[in-house]
Amino acid sequence: MKIILKLQDNYDLQANLFSFVIHFGLFIFMLASIQWQMKDVYYSEVELWDAMPMQVKAQPVANKKKSADIKKLTPKAIEKQKQLKINEDAEIKLKKKRKAEKKAKIKKIQKQALKQEKIEQLQKKLLEQEKIEQLQKKLLEQEKLEEIQKKLLEQEKIDKLKESILDQDVKKNARIAVEADQELFAGSNTGELNKFKAMIQQKIYQNVNKQLCGLDLVELEFEIQLMPTGELLGEPKLTQSSKIESCDQALERAILQSQPLPVPKDAKLFSKLKILTLKFSPNAYTE
Amino acid sequence: MIFNMKIMLNYIHRFIFFVTLITLSLSSNSIEVIEILGGKASQIPIAITPFNEEIRTMGEVPDKKNAFREKMHEVIANDLERSGLFTSLDTSGISTIPDSDILINFSNWSALQAQFLVVGKIITIQNRLITRWSLIDIYKEKTVLSMEFSGSKKQYRGIAHKISDLIYKKLTGSPGVFHTRITFVKKKSQKNYSLYVADYDGFNQRAIVNSSQPILSARWSPDGKKIAYVSFEKKKPVIYVQDLTTGKRVLVANFKGNNSAPAWSPDSKKLAIVLTYSANSQIYIINSDGSGIKQLMRTRSINTEPAWSPDGKEIFFSSDRGGNPQIYKVNVDGVSDVNRVTFEGKSNLSPSLSPDGKLLLFLTQDNGKFRVAVQNLLSNQVLKLTKGPHDESPVFSPNGHMVLFTYKDYGKTTKIGTVSINGLKVTPLRVGSEAIQESSWGPITSN
Amino acid sequence: MKKSLLLGMLMTSMLVGCSSTDMKESMGLNAPFPELTSQTAELSPAATDELASNPLLSERSVYFKFNSYDVESQYSDMLAAHAEFISKYNVAVAINGNADFRGSHEYNLSLGQKRSVAVSDSLSGLGIGSNNVETVSYGEENANQECTGSACDQDRRADIVYVGE
Repeated sequence: MKIILKLQDNYDLQANLFSFVIHFGLFIFMLASIQWQMKDVYYSEVELWDAMPMQVKAQPVANKKKSADIKKLTPKAIEKQKQLKINEDAEIKLKKKRKAEKKAKIKKIQKQALKQEKIEQLQKKLLEQEKIEQLQKKLLEQEKLEEIQKKLLEQEKIDKLKESILDQDVKKNARIAVEADQELFAGSNTGELNKFKAMIQQKIYQNVNKQLCGLDLVELEFEIQLMPTGELLGEPKLTQSSKIESCDQALERAILQSQPLPVPKDAKLFSKLKILTLKFSPNAYTE
Repeated sequence: MIFNMKIMLNYIHRFIFFVTLITLSLSSNSIEVIEILGGKASQIPIAITPFNEEIRTMGEVPDKKNAFREKMHEVIANDLERSGLFTSLDTSGISTIPDSDILINFSNWSALQAQFLVVGKIITIQNRLITRWSLIDIYKEKTVLSMEFSGSKKQYRGIAHKISDLIYKKLTGSPGVFHTRITFVKKKSQKNYSLYVADYDGFNQRAIVNSSQPILSARWSPDGKKIAYVSFEKKKPVIYVQDLTTGKRVLVANFKGNNSAPAWSPDSKKLAIVLTYSANSQIYIINSDGSGIKQLMRTRSINTEPAWSPDGKEIFFSSDRGGNPQIYKVNVDGVSDVNRVTFEGKSNLSPSLSPDGKLLLFLTQDNGKFRVAVQNLLSNQVLKLTKGPHDESPVFSPNGHMVLFTYKDYGKTTKIGTVSINGLKVTPLRVGSEAIQESSWGPITSN
Repeated sequence: MKKSLLLGMLMTSMLVGCSSTDMKESMGLNAPFPELTSQTAELSPAATDELASNPLLSERSVYFKFNSYDVESQYSDMLAAHAEFISKYNVAVAINGNADFRGSHEYNLSLGQKRSVAVSDSLSGLGIGSNNVETVSYGEENANQECTGSACDQDRRADIVYVGE
């Protein structure tokens, strides 16, 4: 039982770890890409301010004015103009460069965005895949549970049939407690255990003489030890008295009379029934 | 993020379960519990063997019929069976009958399904009987009771009844009533009535009153000394109280109109009676010598058949104040309101209370048939004990486990019998072929 | 008032002697209908003759319908004749009520009593006081224990019985 658990857990562990790593990686990547994007945004905003079209238009008007002024200008002024022009050219060149750079950058950003989209798509796909896997797992578990429930129902039906054949009263009284999870991990053992418990309960019930227990709702408890033959080891031990001596004695007789009790042949299962606590409430369900 | 959590939770859940499973399996000393609810109204199977008889009288020829050997164990078997709590097993097929608790083959008796065994030996010397008997527990393989009684030959039934009482007390915890006595009225003809006292099983009957006029409502005082009854010998119903030892009687009520339905208070000092002094039947209380009359209550309707609660505080009675007769109760001090007690059935009559005050015994009319019924005064559940069609005069045994009543089939004479309080065992009393009416059960006496 | 009279009577009987059977005999308390006989006349031979000769007087029973306690008009003449007779001779009369056998003896005593009271009330309406009349019941004691259906009708009746006859 324990080995199976470990194996299963191992697979789960692997799967979990793998998806965890992927997710972590993607997460980091996402963080990084978001940060880079944010930096560029601020940077490009500053650039736009400088490249306003208005100033470009102004330049030719200034040149015309300047050319009008050149006939009258001194060589110094011409030198200055030349220098200005060179400067302006340099500036324009720079500006052009910068524009180009900016464009390149924008392209880069666009590329990035595309990449980002692709990544996100991948992420989505992975998500969906995981969801599908999860669903599949759930379905599997669901199927398993349903199977178990079916088995239990069938078992209950068989037991009920037995009871109705035996006695109307017994139908009212039989209580079988079942743990579905136990069934899942312990195999069919718990079902067997409960079967024997029910048989023991039925056999003892047939011998309970409630006439000696008065009219009130009294409760009693006995502890018994069984031998593999179904007979009692020693005497029943009264652990809770009904306060009515004849009632205590009548129920002790009921237990003794029920020997041999039906016990399983399988040693492991029998070991669970070796010591039993029997709880009685003889006046329950009085008509 | 949420996605990750789900997986984590799933893993944690499985982990916890795994851990608990380990710890549970480590504590392998967990004891399985089986609950058994309810039970059966069954009888204790008891084997009562014929008592071996040894005659030690010089020159006495053994009675071919083995008189005491047969009868003693029969009396015990009949007693225990009649109570409804025992089944006596047929021991006629057994070759060697033990006469003491030595060398009992327990497995043989267990194979017979016997839970208990009664064995005995009777030694007769002249006119006396010595009875040695034992009660043996078959499952536990040990002797539970072992005693010796002696008495005259004539008393053999009394000795047997005493043995029955002791067995009953030991195994049920309640006192036995097999030594008690009853009264009943035999109507031999329209002009010939007798009031009899007999053993509870109808044996040893003797008449204590003979009259050409009807006798009704004989009631044994709780102290066992007197019987009150109604007689028509004065051409109208009047009440007498007769001393059982001396046979002398006192006329305690001869008021104008009817005097009837005497009911003893639990301390035997007072009688509740019914007078029609003021036209319709009303309930009064007088001292048992007839003095000190006091009216309990007065209405325009019939109020009759008074019965005291065992604590002496309440009186139950039947009344037609609601149309058909039903049973009501009232405080003896007359201060409290009258409360209705029965609600099922068309008519309910003849109330009486069990010795523990928990059960009401009465007559109910059900589809035209009169049947004996008991009602649990706490839960108000009603159980019909008999079938009818004309059952009457139900009275409790002094341990509350049996009911004595008269019954009559269409066109047949009235007979008398007992029914166990669970309604399962009805046994007639063989008292003769004459019609029986009105019965009463005497108290437990300590001999 | 009647109660105190009754009580007084009882008390005096107690005072006179212990409540033994013998004493009561001498007091006449053991005689039938003690309260009546002390205040009425015994049946004289003349009265007895008249009882025998008058056909109406020989009718003594009033029958009742099922579950009813009404005296039907068919009995008017008969009751009138009895009333006349009673007042003429100042005799004591007991009215015995009866019931059929179904139910308990004691309860049937009470039912019979109701019938007896019904007839007594009729006589009272005809001027006959309670000094002359005692209502008693026999319940089912005179009834046919084997009757079925309408055969039980005749048990539902009240009978007029003259004290001393």
